[in-house]
Amino acid sequence: MLHTEDLSVSYGAVQALKSMNLAVPRGEVTAVIGANGAGKSTLMRTLAGLVRPQTGQVLLDGVSITGKKPEDIVRMGVALVPEGRSTIPELSLEENLRLGGLWRDKAGRMESQQKVFDLFPILAERKNMRADTLSGGERQQLAIGRALMSDPRCLLLDEPSLGLAPLIVTQILELVSRLAKETNIAVLLVEQNAVTALRVATTGVVLNLGEVVKAGPAQEISSDEELRHAYLGY
Amino acid sequence: MTNFVDYLLGGFSNGAVIALMALAIVLVWRSTRMVNFAQVGQAMFTTYVALTVQQSSGSWVLALVVAMAAGLVLGIVVFFLVIRPVKNSDSTGAIIATFGVLIALQAGAGMIWGGDPQGFLTPVDNSGIEFAGRIWPISLYDILVLVVTAALVIGLTLLFTKTNLGLSMRAAAFNPEVARLSGVRVNRMLITGWAIAGATGAVGGVLIAPVSTISPNSFDILLVFAFTAAVIGGLDSLIGAVTFGIGTGLVISLVSGYSDSGNAPIVALVLLALNLLLKPDGVFGHHGARSV
Amino acid sequence: MKTLRSFPGNRIVWHAIIVGVVWLLLLLLNNNIDPLYSAYLALVAMYATAMFGMTILVGLSGQVSLGNGALMAVGGYVFALTSMNWQTVPFFGWEWNAVWSMVFAGLGGVLIGGIIGGLAARLKGPYLAGLTLGVAVGVPAITNRFPELLGGENGLMLTVPYPAGGYAAMDAGGEIAGEADGDVVVDPGTDEGATGEDQQYAELDLTEFDQGNDSFAEGDLLTEGDLLTEENFDAGSDQFAEDDLLTEEDFGTGTDLGIDETAADPGGDAGGDAAGFDGAGQDESELAGGGLIDAFDSEFIIERWQASMAIAVACIVAFAALNLVRGRQGRVWKAVRDDPVAAAVVGISPSGSKVSAFVVSSLFAALAGAVFAQILSFIGPGAFGLGLSLSLLVGIVLGGRASLLGAIIGALLLVWLPELVDGLSGERGWPEQITNNAPNLLYGLLVVVVVLAAPGGITGTFKSWIDKAKGRGRATLS
Repeated sequence: MLHTEDLSVSYGAVQALKSMNLAVPRGEVTAVIGANGAGKSTLMRTLAGLVRPQTGQVLLDGVSITGKKPEDIVRMGVALVPEGRSTIPELSLEENLRLGGLWRDKAGRMESQQKVFDLFPILAERKNMRADTLSGGERQQLAIGRALMSDPRCLLLDEPSLGLAPLIVTQILELVSRLAKETNIAVLLVEQNAVTALRVATTGVVLNLGEVVKAGPAQEISSDEELRHAYLGY
Repeated sequence: MTNFVDYLLGGFSNGAVIALMALAIVLVWRSTRMVNFAQVGQAMFTTYVALTVQQSSGSWVLALVVAMAAGLVLGIVVFFLVIRPVKNSDSTGAIIATFGVLIALQAGAGMIWGGDPQGFLTPVDNSGIEFAGRIWPISLYDILVLVVTAALVIGLTLLFTKTNLGLSMRAAAFNPEVARLSGVRVNRMLITGWAIAGATGAVGGVLIAPVSTISPNSFDILLVFAFTAAVIGGLDSLIGAVTFGIGTGLVISLVSGYSDSGNAPIVALVLLALNLLLKPDGVFGHHGARSV
Repeated sequence: MKTLRSFPGNRIVWHAIIVGVVWLLLLLLNNNIDPLYSAYLALVAMYATAMFGMTILVGLSGQVSLGNGALMAVGGYVFALTSMNWQTVPFFGWEWNAVWSMVFAGLGGVLIGGIIGGLAARLKGPYLAGLTLGVAVGVPAITNRFPELLGGENGLMLTVPYPAGGYAAMDAGGEIAGEADGDVVVDPGTDEGATGEDQQYAELDLTEFDQGNDSFAEGDLLTEGDLLTEENFDAGSDQFAEDDLLTEEDFGTGTDLGIDETAADPGGDAGGDAAGFDGAGQDESELAGGGLIDAFDSEFIIERWQASMAIAVACIVAFAALNLVRGRQGRVWKAVRDDPVAAAVVGISPSGSKVSAFVVSSLFAALAGAVFAQILSFIGPGAFGLGLSLSLLVGIVLGGRASLLGAIIGALLLVWLPELVDGLSGERGWPEQITNNAPNLLYGLLVVVVVLAAPGGITGTFKSWIDKAKGRGRATLS
């Protein structure tokens, strides 16, 4: 399980995260939702080590990963799929995938690659193509696949729906949700698109201006009219 | 026609050296997105080291190996002392800093080895080979230059395409953030890039020294040729650097043959200006791919 | 400073006063120091002129260019060619004088600078640096391309048009009216007796500028009365003045050297020429006319003349640079440097801004080159190659990239540091190999250290100290 204790991050005078306590249990998807500027991306980047918190801690199964470098954090088992274009177009699909777990032994890598191909069969078909010839949905699958190559205990997905057709998003997220249950990994999903996110998530967390407004079962949150109007804008 | 063929043949070994220097510039560009204007200065310095080794040991091979090692070390030293601290904060400053290194290296070499041009012995004969009833404008030494260059280029290509280190270096070059998130130790990859570039340039320096003699400033012109080749090749592309490095060598040889070797820098300048105007991303550039 | 900012309309007047006062002080200094130091002063002023352009190009506009040494060569060559070949200004038929050569040198710089700048505006940092590096390295090749015109590798010896018309104003101030329009040249080869003992004045080491340093004209001491005819001037263009520093005792011999005095035309059209010097000559004569400057006896000392000429050009350029840098154009350059996209959004053309910075710096560089050619009495590829361009870059970075004061400090450093090393070397007995390379080693290392530790250079660092001190003061007050 990944959890944070009193995590605070500020950019100069602007406090992006205020004393945040969050738990991401294994075997399920936790969705963090909120409007633009709520601190969702900052949260993800802090968990992955790209941003250093001012105070507080990030713990993975009880071990602190606070302030560690991103390349060490991913080796410890927390893999981030960043927002937007996170594949490298100059590399082939297979190379993009391989990149995700270069430090691991060969047997482990082959096993993970097989898992990824089982999960996203389209990637196996296009294995030798350059990443820039893929469609948006395929690229997102590739990015998730690359993160899975590190054999993570916790997978962080930052806005996977960005720029994709709703149907494809739903498909991908349902696959991820199944993966979480089957392989017992903790998935933290950050989304502006609250409806889709809450549909696949077990737990929902509503974020506003760097603070947790509400955390609870996903269904409860998606049926809370007041919450929806106040923070989610639909 | 015989002239043309002769001039062309005569340009290959110079072209190979330009290709090596261009490769060094490209390797640095790929790892840190900057042009190291001290690159050829570093090569000059390591060539002096090689000269000292050759003079004391008499072994060309040992001199080459020592130069490569020195180039590796010098690349790492320059990276740590200069580039790493300045890189992110100030892109104008980074360019200026590499010129600072160039000035210091040239003065340092002048202090240690003096300003007079010195000769560098070739390990094999450097006069035209006699074959099929005539003397060709290619010597045994030229062939050695081409073989060493080819070996280095093939080695680098294999390193980049076939090994995990090569993949990590490419990823670190193209998208450092994604590379870090994938567990690549990006800083180490940048250092490795600078080190390999230093060694590659060092080989180029040792190879050209017997032909050009060596003095603290004698490689300045090589910097212009190498930069031209690297830019026309797209700055990102190893194939581009090699292709246009050799191409530049051939053009220079033709210009020197038909007019005067003094015109070579002007031709290089015109090529560079035309390329920057017409095809700013170079012929093998990746810009199109990146903007998608 | 505050007053300057609160009355923008008066800014130009203020700048004129500042520059005028500095000019005056420099002339006073020049006339009261040993001629050897005047020679240094001339070099400092020359470097400062070129480096004001670097402030604008590198500091304000953020373009790293190594082309300015080559642009100095353009100015030098244009000056040399026009002063050697023209008796009248083509098409207009006005009588030629040195000011015209300066004007054309400047125009040459603007033209070539405009071409390079037009290319440069499309290029990002390293591409521009690389292209201009090619230009710097290509200078010798280009001069070799036209050996008849540009003298090839050996360059051109030029006959320096000593005091005449507008230039006279810079020399003797109030005595301008007494100047004639002729050009002073000393017949070379007739003064062997005078050269040896005056080496003390001529020992300024110019070796770093050119391998052919023994062919420099280094010192010519003449009285104001020794004016030559136009014919002599022309004849002199084929030769070169060597080392004609005469002491007062030699004065008698000087007049006996067969110099034709017939053309000396006291009270000629000097006044008109002074007015033609962009009004600057006039300013100067007004300032100096009050007898503030104690014109140096009645002798003409070449180092002093060189210094006052270089100072005049530097001050005029400084005045222009001050108005540009502190005016609207300065803000435009900075805006484009800091954020070209944002600048474009508010209607500033980024490429236009870059080209204008390039052209202005080229103009300054060409003027400096013309001054340099006159100081050296020589123009050639060796003195104007990559080394000179790198020196300019070093100077501007050490002094302070975005500051005109930094340019002046950088110019001082460029002249002073080699002399310091030379002095130390003399004391400690360093081998030549060390002495010759020590300044450049220091420059290289200093540039790296400054870029890493104090990107603002000397002026920037002082400014931040002052700001810090002020900040502390305010904190304790409140």
